[in-house]
This record gives sequence, structure tokens and C-alpha cells, in this order.
Amino acid sequence: MLLKKVCMIGSFAVGKTSLVRKSVQGIFSETYKTTVGVKVDNKVVRVGEKEVTLVLWDLYGEDKFQTLLRAHLSGTFGYLLVADGTRLATLHEAEALEAKMRQEIGNKPFLFLLNKCDLRLEWEIDDAQQADLAARGWEILHTSAKTGEGVEAAFQRLAEQMLV
Amino acid sequence: MPDDPIYRLPLDPQEEVSSGEGGSFEQLRHLILAPEQQDLARLRERVEDPGLRTGDISAVLPEAIELRREVGGEEALGKALLPTVESALRESVRKNPTTLADALFPVMGPAIRRSILQTLRSFFDSFNEAMDHSFSLRGLQWRVESLRTGRPFSEIVLLHSLVFRVEQVFLIHKKTGLPLAHAVAPAVAMQDASLVSGMLSAIQDFVRDSFHSAQGQILEKINVGEMEVWVEDGPYAILACVIRGIPPPDYRQRMAEALEHIHRNFAEAMERFEGETGPFAGANDELSQCLEFRYKEKAGEKPKPYLVAVVIAVGLALAGWMGYRGWQNYKWAEFIETLRAQPGLVVTDFERIRGHYVIRGLRDPLAADPTELLKAAGLPLDAAEQRWGGYYALDDAIVQKRATALLRPPAGVKLTVADGVLRPEGEASATWAAALRSKALLLPGIRALDTSQLTDTDAAEFVRLQKVVEGAIIKFAVGSSVLNVTEAVKLEQLAPQIKLLLEKGRLLGENATLDVVGHSDSSGVETTNGPLSRSRAERVAAQLLRDDVVKSELQSRGVAASEPLRKEENEEGRQYNRSVTFRVRVAQSAAGAPSGTRPASPLDTPAAGNR
Repeated sequence: MLLKKVCMIGSFAVGKTSLVRKSVQGIFSETYKTTVGVKVDNKVVRVGEKEVTLVLWDLYGEDKFQTLLRAHLSGTFGYLLVADGTRLATLHEAEALEAKMRQEIGNKPFLFLLNKCDLRLEWEIDDAQQADLAARGWEILHTSAKTGEGVEAAFQRLAEQMLV
Repeated sequence: MPDDPIYRLPLDPQEEVSSGEGGSFEQLRHLILAPEQQDLARLRERVEDPGLRTGDISAVLPEAIELRREVGGEEALGKALLPTVESALRESVRKNPTTLADALFPVMGPAIRRSILQTLRSFFDSFNEAMDHSFSLRGLQWRVESLRTGRPFSEIVLLHSLVFRVEQVFLIHKKTGLPLAHAVAPAVAMQDASLVSGMLSAIQDFVRDSFHSAQGQILEKINVGEMEVWVEDGPYAILACVIRGIPPPDYRQRMAEALEHIHRNFAEAMERFEGETGPFAGANDELSQCLEFRYKEKAGEKPKPYLVAVVIAVGLALAGWMGYRGWQNYKWAEFIETLRAQPGLVVTDFERIRGHYVIRGLRDPLAADPTELLKAAGLPLDAAEQRWGGYYALDDAIVQKRATALLRPPAGVKLTVADGVLRPEGEASATWAAALRSKALLLPGIRALDTSQLTDTDAAEFVRLQKVVEGAIIKFAVGSSVLNVTEAVKLEQLAPQIKLLLEKGRLLGENATLDVVGHSDSSGVETTNGPLSRSRAERVAAQLLRDDVVKSELQSRGVAASEPLRKEENEEGRQYNRSVTFRVRVAQSAAGAPSGTRPASPLDTPAAGNR
């Protein structure tokens, strides 16, 4: 069996938990996240011939980051960095988080998910800003926890990156 | 290869010397280039000759594989070899399965034995436990609890009788929080190892960070109701045991040893762990051995071998009882078949009600007694209740019995019935024969009467008596009509026979009468002989009438010498002719009853009329 620990990080209320809720297997309730600071779920993805179980660590909001990040990030193979397309502030926080991740765990595969693409009209993050990120080597995916758009693709893509 | 310059060079030095002007240049060239050319030629041969090439590769193949493994290309090599190895194995099995079986035997044997032992052990433990509690008062209480709470009995037993049981063991990679191996006790709901491992790691992190404990210190024990999670920390992995109940303190030691052992064997693999759990399959054994459990023991009692004895005894008793029941059922079924085969018995219903058999049916009064049959079959008489309704059976055997009972044949007569035809056989009186004819066809089940084998004794007797009487000669002295003493005795002895003869005649419906005939010899004259012979006949007739031998059915006459009994060649002949003889006359009676002397009609039927 091939297991990969994957973290979901991003600012408070960007929709990390909602992203995984629909498509993962889990046994723990949401309250774990507020008590322990993390909730673990499974997502099985097939890459070519291989079946990979992504063990998703859904980390509590950014404010806990300082105290919990270091321990919870240990052994992470890759991560999903999530921002809310309707809140520009979350993009800046994501940039800070990415820098922190690089510092903590080194250069690991990650995807930048711009969530809430169902509310595209309200987005504060424009194409120019995204092009700027892409130029820095960020791989960007648009997702919607509400419609499920891009969610499966995000897990699939991250798994592929980790198996390269 | 015409454009290959090397091949245009002559290689034989002798050849070059004799080649003329440019000879010295060629010689020089040869001296300089020949060794390389020879090397090249040899190398070319090596490369192009498959035989040589194979030899070369075979010399370095093991080292090449070893090198490949060392640089980490093992996976690719394995992948490349896989189809070949697979087909080689297939071929080996196809050619001779024993070879591979023999090679695998040392591995398979212990593995299979161990698996079976483990299964048996857990089966016997739980079985003994369940048995133990099935028969006690406490067991009964637990049954009630099981009914009340809707939880399975086994679970209630487990909760009450368990000291502790290690239900799950996780080997968790410390750095990633991912499960390397996971073992679960039988009948325990398995949880997703990766989720539980992840959360356990997260909790460890949380506690460590929250209370700022020193690096390397961990949460060793988590209590959750009846469950405890014991955690043992190692350099690369932690061992987490989920335990129901309270384990003995030395279990911690057991865990430490297991974790040490795992680290000894897998430290390198754990250090390099990249998410693939395959290499840790070998750790499962170690984890399984950590799945310890212990049940409460009753004070001073060892595990109970008597329970096994009880089980065996109960099993034997049950088997015996079932065998007995089976045998009983067989006996009863056989008995019912016997009943059904009996003429005059019809079994309409047979059932078993609360250990008691009930037989219902119809029974001819002349049929065999079912109770006697029950006795003969060796079955208990009180085990069956019989309810028989009466009826007339038409089976030949029963009809024969019925005819015998009602017609009461004399000793010499045997009655048989076949296909409804009554056939008397033997000798019987005319009286009985007449009664037979009048009654036989009234009996249920008899449709015809065949008397061809029945002899009428009365008729035979009549014929015999007639011969006796007609053969008798009462003699007289010359010229006398007086009976001397000898002849009087003779007549006296004949009298009962005459009486019987006439009676038989009446019985047979014959109108028999007796002629008493007086004779004389031829010595006298007709005028005296006639009266003399008549007088002799009258004398005898008078005697018979006086003795009440005959009544009216008698005629006497004198025939003088006209019907001599003998030729009078001597005195003896004349003596015979001075006598009285008897003639029986038979005339058909007016009633038309069948004569005893005529043969009986072979078959009397109602249509033929025998009344």
C-alpha cells in the first residue's frame, strides 16, 4: 500500500474543510479540528497503475499556525494551499504560508487552489495576479467546494506531482 | 566490407616483403598498425559472434545484477524479470509440481500450522468461556442483560469476563504519522489505520506543543472509558496498542521489546520511508504477538478441562438419544408397514403427539390383532394409542377366515378363497354341503362357489351300505321257513345297517325301499316252493318290522327257484338257494333334491341357483 501524507493549509474560512468534505473517507467529526487542531481524512487516487492513499491533514486556521505547524507538517509529502478568490487578503496569507512551508519542510510539491470559483463575479484576485504566481512556478487550480468543480482534479494532480 | 580501410591491408608480413617497390612503406605500416589491427579483428569477432558474447555476459551477469540492486534500480530490474520469473514458475509447476512444493514446504508448513493453531486457540478460548457462562446463574443474568440491551450474548460475556484484551496494534511512522503496519484481534471492528494513526500522531503533537514538553517525551497512555491506548515511543516509529480492560504492568515491557525488535529489523526502511508500506509486512507477526488477552479465572480454579468432558458427554448423550430416536422411528415405520400389509387392516393415519404415537384406521373383526403385532415387533404397548373403526374386508384371506368361521366346515374339509371364489376341498356330509350351498353366497366377499373338489360322504356311505345289505344272505333249512339261531343273529347284525341305509336314502332325497326276496332250491315242486319262498321272505320282513328296523318302505316277495343265487351242482349250492336276500330300490324323490350318487355341479353360482 502506498500512503502519502498531504496537508491542507490556508487562511481561516477559505473552504479547506468544505473542499474535502464531499470526496473523502473520514471517521472523525469536525470538532476534532477545533480541539486538536487537525482532522485527518483519506482520499484514494489512482495514478497510472498505482493506487495512492492520500492521508489529508486538514489543519486548523492560520492563527494556530505558529504553534502547531511545525509538528503537524512533519513528514508531509505535498500540500494543498488554499485561498479564497473573493478575498485578496487570503492570497497574501497564502504567499506567506508558502514561504513558511518552504522553510519548514523544504521544496515539496504543492498546488495553489483558488476556491469559490462559483462566485467568480465577486473575485478580488485577477488574472494578472495569477499570472504573476504562475511565473513563480505555482501551479494554480480553480475549485468550488459548492459545485465540486476542480476538487477531484486537485487531488489527482497533487498525487501525480508527488509520484514523479 | 569493401570500404573498410583496415581490410585492405595485407596482414601476412611474408606477402608484403615480396610485393615490390612500396614494400618498405607497407612493412613500416604493418609494423606500426598490425597489433592494433589484430586487436580490432579480435574485438570485432567477439562482438559479432553470439556464442562468445553470451560467454562474456554470463561472466559478469551476477555482478551486474548486484550492482544494479546497489544503485537502487532494483524495482526496474524486478519489473523486467517479473514476466520471465512468472512464466518460469508456471512452467515448473506444469512440468512437475512436486519440485516447487518441496522447495516451499519448509516455509508453508510452519505458516499454515501457526495460522491453524491461532484460529483453534481463539476458538477454544471463546468456546470455553461461553460454555462456562452458559450453565451458571451468572450466565443466566448475562443472558437477561443481553436480551434487555439488545447486545449479543458473546459481547456481554466478553465485557464481564475479560481482564484485558489488546484489540488493535498500530506501528506508526513517527515522522509522517502514517501507519507502517496494523494488527487487529479477531472479531474486532477494524478502523482505518491511516486515519487513526494520523489522529494519534496529531494528538501527540498537540499535547507536546500545548504543554511544551521536552522533545522525545510522549503521551504514553490515553484512557477512553473501558478502553486504553498505550503508546510506546521509538526512534523512528511508535507502537500504539488499543486495549480493552486493564492490562498487567509488564505489558509495557512486552511492547518495548516488540518495538525494539521492529527497529532492529526495519530501522533503515523506516528512515527511508516514502509512503510504501510493503517492506513492513514482516512486522505484522511482531504486532500480532502483541494482541494478548486474558480472561478472569474463578478463585482457585484452573481452566476447566471438565467442561470439555461435559461437552463430550452431552454430545455423546445427544448422539445416543438421536440414534435411539432414529432407531425407534425406524421400528415404528416398519411396524406401520407391517400393519398396512395385514389383510383386514387399513391404516388411515399415523402421527406422533408429544412422544406418543396415535394409529387410526379400519379393522375387520377377523383381522390380526394389532396389539399382538405390536408385541411381536418388540415395541412398548403403552406407547401407541389405537383407534380402529370396524368394516368388512374383502381380501381373500379375510373372506376365507370369515367363511370358515361362519360355515364351520367338518374336519375333512378345507375352505380356500381365491379371487372371491370359495372352493371347499375334502369330504363332507350332504347336510353340510346343503348348508354350504344355501349360505356361501350370502357372505360378503364371496361371488362364486366351486364344489368340484368336495366329496359327499353320505352318498358314498349309501353305496357302501347298499352293497353290504344286498350282499347279505339269510339261509334256511330244507323245507323250513324258520330262522335258526345263527341266521337270526346274522339278521340281527344286519338290521342296523339296513336302518342306516334307509336313513341315508332319505337324507340324500332318494326314495329308497327294501325288497325282501325269498328263495327256494329246485328240489321240490313249484307249488310248494313258491309258498315256501314267500313264507321265508315274510318271516324275515316280520322280524325287521318287529325290531322297528323298517317302517313302510318294505316289500316282501317269494321267487321260489326262479332267481337262484348259485348253480345247484352240490349241496352247498342248494344251501345258498334256500335263503332270503335283499334288494334296494331307488326312485328319484318328488322334491328333486340332488342325488348323493350323482356328481355335484362343479360351480354353483347365484345365477346357477343352489337354493
